[in-house]
Formats: sequence, C-alpha cells, structure tokens
Amino acid sequence: MTLLTIDAITVNYGRLIALRNASLTLSQGETLFITGPNGAGKSTLLKAIAGVVVPKAGTIRFAGLEIGGWAPEDIARRGFSMVPEGRHVFGSLTIEENLRLGVGMRVDKDAAERDLEHIYSVFPMLEERRHQAAGVLSGGQQQMLVIGRALMANPQLIAIDEPSLGLAPKVIDDVYAVLLKLRDTRGLTLLIVEQSSARATMTGGRMLLLRGGEIVLEGDARELTRSDALKAAYFGYGEQH
Amino acid sequence: MTALLQILFDALSLGSLYALAAIGIALIFGVMRLVNFAHGDYISFCVFALLWPSIEATAFVFAGQLPPYLLIPVILTVGACLSMLSEILVFRRFRNANPATMMIASFALGFVIKYTLLMLFSSRPKSIDLWPSLSLPVEIFDARIPLLQVITIVITIVILIALVAFLKRTRFGLEMRAAAENFTMARMLGVRANAVILLAFAISGMLAASIGLILVTQTGTVDIQMGSSVMLVAFIATVIGGLGSLPGAVVAGFLIGGVSVLMQVILPFDIRPFRDAFVYGAVIAVLIWRPNGLFMPRSAKQRV
Amino acid sequence: MTHRPSIFLRSLSTPLILILVLVAFLALATFMNSGPFNQVVIDGLVKVTLVVGLYVFIGNSGVLSFGHIGFTCLGAYATAWLTIPPLMKKMALPGLPEFILEAKLPYGLGIGFGALFAGAFALVVGKILMRLSGIAASIATFAMLAVINTVYSNWERVTGATSSVVGIPIVRVVWPYCLAAVVSIVIAHLYAISRSGLALRAARDEAIAASASGVDIGRERLIAFVISAVITGMGGALSAHSVGVVTPDTFYLNLTFICLSMLVVGGMNSLSGAVMGVVVLSVIIQVLRQFEKGVSLGGTVVSIPNGLQEIAIGIVMVVILIARPTGLTRNQEIVWQGWPFKRVSAATEP
Repeated sequence: MTLLTIDAITVNYGRLIALRNASLTLSQGETLFITGPNGAGKSTLLKAIAGVVVPKAGTIRFAGLEIGGWAPEDIARRGFSMVPEGRHVFGSLTIEENLRLGVGMRVDKDAAERDLEHIYSVFPMLEERRHQAAGVLSGGQQQMLVIGRALMANPQLIAIDEPSLGLAPKVIDDVYAVLLKLRDTRGLTLLIVEQSSARATMTGGRMLLLRGGEIVLEGDARELTRSDALKAAYFGYGEQH
Repeated sequence: MTALLQILFDALSLGSLYALAAIGIALIFGVMRLVNFAHGDYISFCVFALLWPSIEATAFVFAGQLPPYLLIPVILTVGACLSMLSEILVFRRFRNANPATMMIASFALGFVIKYTLLMLFSSRPKSIDLWPSLSLPVEIFDARIPLLQVITIVITIVILIALVAFLKRTRFGLEMRAAAENFTMARMLGVRANAVILLAFAISGMLAASIGLILVTQTGTVDIQMGSSVMLVAFIATVIGGLGSLPGAVVAGFLIGGVSVLMQVILPFDIRPFRDAFVYGAVIAVLIWRPNGLFMPRSAKQRV
Repeated sequence: MTHRPSIFLRSLSTPLILILVLVAFLALATFMNSGPFNQVVIDGLVKVTLVVGLYVFIGNSGVLSFGHIGFTCLGAYATAWLTIPPLMKKMALPGLPEFILEAKLPYGLGIGFGALFAGAFALVVGKILMRLSGIAASIATFAMLAVINTVYSNWERVTGATSSVVGIPIVRVVWPYCLAAVVSIVIAHLYAISRSGLALRAARDEAIAASASGVDIGRERLIAFVISAVITGMGGALSAHSVGVVTPDTFYLNLTFICLSMLVVGGMNSLSGAVMGVVVLSVIIQVLRQFEKGVSLGGTVVSIPNGLQEIAIGIVMVVILIARPTGLTRNQEIVWQGWPFKRVSAATEP
C-alpha cells in the first residue's frame, strides 16, 4: 500500500531553489535512504513533508490525504514523525517530559506507557536520568532521546535526518535494531537521511540520491553501492553541463 | 524592626504586581516572540470594566457592585477574552513577521484599546471604592501593615503556585513549555500551535485582570494610564530575567520592586524624586553585566 | 559593458526623490489651506526630521531603539535654555549656570547647539550602550529615555520639572523646518552610502560574516547612534521653537511610539520608508481630523465622533502591517532608473 506520494515538488528559499521537481513514492513498511552531498536538498525534502516549509509547486499525499499546505501539527497527527537535523531536545524539560510530548495525539494511553517502557529498555541511560533536564545530556544521548521521542508518537512513517551523527557505532546499531524491529512488527515505514551509503548497504532497502536539489539516482541500496553509478552521480562526473 | 518589616511588605507587594505583569508578558514572548505592548492596556480595560461607560467625573460603578465571588471571575473572564480576541483578530496574522513589526502592531492595538476607553470614559481619573475593608491595617509583629498588602502578596503566591502546577502537571502546561522553547519542533510533535498560543493569551489576560483588580483596590482610582506604567516595568523585568524564562521574570519583578522601595528609603531626601533614574540606571548596569538576563533559559545554552 | 557610475551618483536619486515628495506634500498642504494648516505642515516636517534620525540608527543597525526621543528632549531643552530671554530664565530656571542664564541666542544657533548637545550626550552614553545588541540594547535605550525623563521631570531649578517652560521664541515660518528635514535626509543618505553605513548594514544582515570581515560592529553602531542623536536632537529643538513651550512628557512614550510606528509602517530598513511613513500617516491623520471637524460630502456634513481619529489610525496601522509586514516601501529605497520608479533592495544597494 502506498503511504507517501510526492509528486514534482519544488521548494525555494527566496531566489534559491533548494528542491526542484522532486518525486518519490513510499510504500508501507518500506525503508528508503536519502543520500547526497551537503546542500543537496535532503533536509528540505523532509521539511517539506513535515509541513515546515511549503512547496511552491507539486503535491504531497500522505496516508491517502493531500497534505500540501497543512500545518506541521496536523501532519504529525496523521502519523508522521520527524527527527530534524540538529537534535532539537527541549533542554528545560525533563527527559521523560520530552518523551511524553510525543504521546499527545495518541488515544490508547496504555500502549503509550508500554512504548515508554520499551524505549527505556532500549536506551537504559534515558531511564536512569528520566527526571533530569534534557539539556544536560551529551550530544549522543540527545540523539537517542529525539529518536525515542519520535517513536513515542507511534507513527506510520518516521523520517530521521542523519541518525548516526554523533553516535557511537554500538549505539547506532541499537538505534537501527529498534527501527528495523518496529518496521517488521508494526509495519513502520522508514525514511532516513544519511550522508554515507554504508548504513544503507548494511540495512538494505531502497536508496535515492539527491544532488543540487534534484533526484539524480534511485534504486536498490545494495545494487547502487556495488555499481559505480552511485559514486559517479554523487560527485557528478560523466555529465555534461 | 517594625520599620524594616514595613519596608519588606512594601517591597513584596510592589514586586508582586511587577512579577505578575512580567509573567504575563514572558508567557506570550515565550510562545511567539511577541513583546506585547498592549498588555498594559488590557490591565486598564479590565479596571474600566468595573464601571458603566460615562464621561462624567463621577464613576458609575457597574460590574464593581457584584459580590466578590462573582466580580472576580467576571473580570478575569473579561481579561482573558480581550487578550484572546487580540490574538485572533490581530496577532494571528503576524505569525511570520519580524519582532519589530509585531511589537509595533501590539502598540497600535494598545492605542486602539486606550482610545476606545478614552472615548467611553474620558481621560479624567475617577475614584472607586472597591472593597474598602481591605485598606484597614493589620498588626504583624507590632508593624501596622495594610491588609491589602498582605492579601496582594498571598494572592500572588497563590497565582504563582497555580501557574507552576498548571505548567508542570498538565498536558497543556507541558506543551506550552515545549512551545516556548522550540515552537517548530513542538508543532512537529503534534502540539497544536494555535491552541497553545490562544491559551497563553488567555492566561496572560487573566493575569492582567488580576493586576487591574489589585491596583484599583490599592489606589481607589480608575485611570487610563494605570496599566502602562506597570507594563513598562514588567517589560524590563522580563528582559532582565532572561526573555522567555518565567522564573526569571518573577525574580526580576520582585527585584525591581525591592530595589525601588529600598531606594525610596535609602536615597537622601534631595535626590529621592530622582529615584526612578537610579532604578533605570541599575537596569542598564544589569544589562551590561548580563546581556542575556540574569536567568538565561536553558534552551539558550543547550548547545553541545 | 557600460561604465558604472560611483555609488554616490547611482544612489543620488533617492534623496532627490524624497525631497521632491516633501516639497510636493508642502505645496499641496499650502495650496489646500493657510493659517492653522501651517502648524500641521510644521509638525509634519519635524516628524520627518525625527523619524529620519531614528532611521539612521535603527535602519542601519537593525537594533530597535526606544531611547531616541530622549535626545529630542535634550535638544528641545538645550535650545530653550539658550534662547529664552534672560529675565524670564532667571525667574523660571534659576539653577542654570550664569553664562547660560545671560545668553540670548538666535533660534538657529539654539537649534545647532541643541543638536550638538544631544550628539555629545549620545557619544558618552553610546560608549556604554553600544556594547549591547538585540533586545537588551532596545531595553537599555528605553532605560536611558526613562532616566532622562525622570531627571527632566524633577530637576526643578534647571528644567522647571513637569511644569511647562515658556518663552521660547516661536518660529512660524515653514522654511527652517523644511530646511532641517532636507538636511537630515541628506545626512541620512550620505551616512547610508558611507563606509560605516555599508559596514553596519552588512553587520545587520550577517553579523558573524561582517565581524569576520573586520567590521567593528560596536564602533560603527556608535557612529550611527551619534549621528542619529544629532538629527533627533535637532528635531527636538525645532519642535520647541514650533510651539514655544516644552514639557518633559512631550518627549516620552507617546512620541516614541508614534515615531517608531511611522518608521515601521514606512519600512524601517530604508530611508524612503522613514519619509514615506511620516508622509502617509500624517496625511491619514490629517484627513481623519478633518472628518472629526465635519466634512461636507454631497451637501450633507459628515463627521465622526471625537476620539475616533486615534482609534482609526491604530486600526489603519495594524491593517497596513498585516498587508505589508516589511512596511509600505517593503524595506526598499525608491530610486530613479528611468521611468517609472523602481525599487532596489536596501540590503544590496543603498
């Protein structure tokens, strides 16, 4: 079943075009990696889905509804959870308050409590410090917190901007293990931005390469990395300008 | 000892007013980066809501005749409604505007409220004796303290506790704190932006109403200017406290109240009329010393 | 490729157009009426001077100042001290130093000294305040205004405290006010295209990049602060001569907010915005005042109740800001680039 359809969206900041004519579809339970160099428009793509930036042209359908122009909170309430770049923890709130913020839209409070316990079991450090202000956490710990918080909303689709950034390899493994388990058990759909293709190759799934605001390559993650196409497209050789 | 106690109560009751007003301003600033200059006019409006419109010098007490258990909720509702109305009619349209534009818009709104009152009631201050029994003194450790001062302080403490309980213990409070820290992120977690802002305006309006009630009981007059002087000090208190920090706003409010009262006492008689110049001079000194305010909100320094 | 003229020549059209707008406004006002209208025109010109003065600091630095009307107060009282006949001064303001008590300067010199006094004060205070930026700086300027107001409202023997200081020679001809407005527009423009003005605007838009390029933001801000204090001080002295009376409360919050509103409604980042804001709001206020007095439309006299004028102006301001959050000129300068006028972003071109 198609969960997300993006059709030819263009986003610009003033005169600068950040995303040009980008289209993609995502089925439920699928994993899609978005990769590309700095400034390629990866974060902009996520922000456009989240409703933080409004595309100038094109349509976005999520869970069967046209969500172009919707407020971010309404999109979130349809089951889209976003972890933006730069770890936006609420520093003055406690860790547990941060986690509970994501629960607001859920009806089944018991299930929410179970998810909270689950996240604590995956990241025991969060439970130990649950009543401390989130601002005191280290960078890596904050990253765990924001991913945990996004999962607390029990989303259909979670979009994460660079989950590996600042995390120890062991923790990255834990994070991915949780995400993949949720994908397999609950049909969670994953949309992950990573600068490197290494994790995509390990995990498997579809991959998409953005460069200069345009989607230049799309295909199976493992196949793409094995061929030279990815490297060529990443750095842009072999094209005439 | 008695003199000291007197000074303490003066300082606390003046500080209470500033603290309440400062929270009202800081709440709104926190969720939408708006410095609401109309806040002082909300205070005046609530006070005038006690009267029946007339440009005569004598006051026609209208709502003011209600028994306290009705009067207080009515005036609080007036404040909340006025405040929410200004968000819906005006501020909602400035969501993406820069702070200076919003500030001037709030000033223009305050201008409209002020001149509406002026048209309905004229600019003459009117006297009104709301709850005269409260101005009787009580004896505390041999010091004769006006009952109203004690009540003002107690009410302020109650309001502060209620506010803290609301912010810490309720879902809406949690969302409001989150929204104050990072509005966009809160929305991405499903926090309903407009509802949170509207609620912040409602609380801010109720705070304005309670200041109005305290002021009118203290002074026995109804005056179009009474809101703006409190608002200006409160505005300064929110900045000194660290914009967006509610505890900071409260502490700074009490601090300014305390310093004002203290200066009134310790300054030599000749210089006493210039007291405010010293208070504002101290404000500049504090700003130079701590440009981000005494209590920078944690959100401002969470960088790792 | 065509030869590009110097920045001075390229941007020359902006002040010229603004001056023309002023002259047109003057001509229209004089044509429409005489007598009491004179005062309205003079008021408008004083406001132009004040708002242009505000723009020099606020527009170039991006720091909102609530304090400049304090300089207006200084300028107004300075010219009052210097131009009131000595006999009256000895009665009303006995605390003044002897040489000021004896002085009886012509109003032109009074205005000049008023402007200089404001500038000197700004230089001293600015050294301290310009270390701040953002909202802290705004509040500090407001505190400065409050200090000035408190001192002038209470220093009985020197300022006459809250009572009116009378006896200031009244100047009822229009040209000095017009000259002052033109001079302030020219100064503001020259500053905006100067090295300091460019550096300050660069710092306003990209603070980190500018200071990495060697811009000393504090120093450039201080320059703008002093120049704008001179202009607003001059405006204050002019306003003293326009009515012949000064009180401290004339130069406090109301005037501060009115001038700031005119600037923001016009577009706070451009000189054109400063001038257009004053002209447009003044015209609207004047039209509403006429309606308050009663206007005959098609045989019947239409009038609006007293007090509605202020309410209406508040609503008009909100509506303008909703429609144009960056002001009437959209923060851009009006420049001559052939016919018709074209606007150029104030960020890239002065």
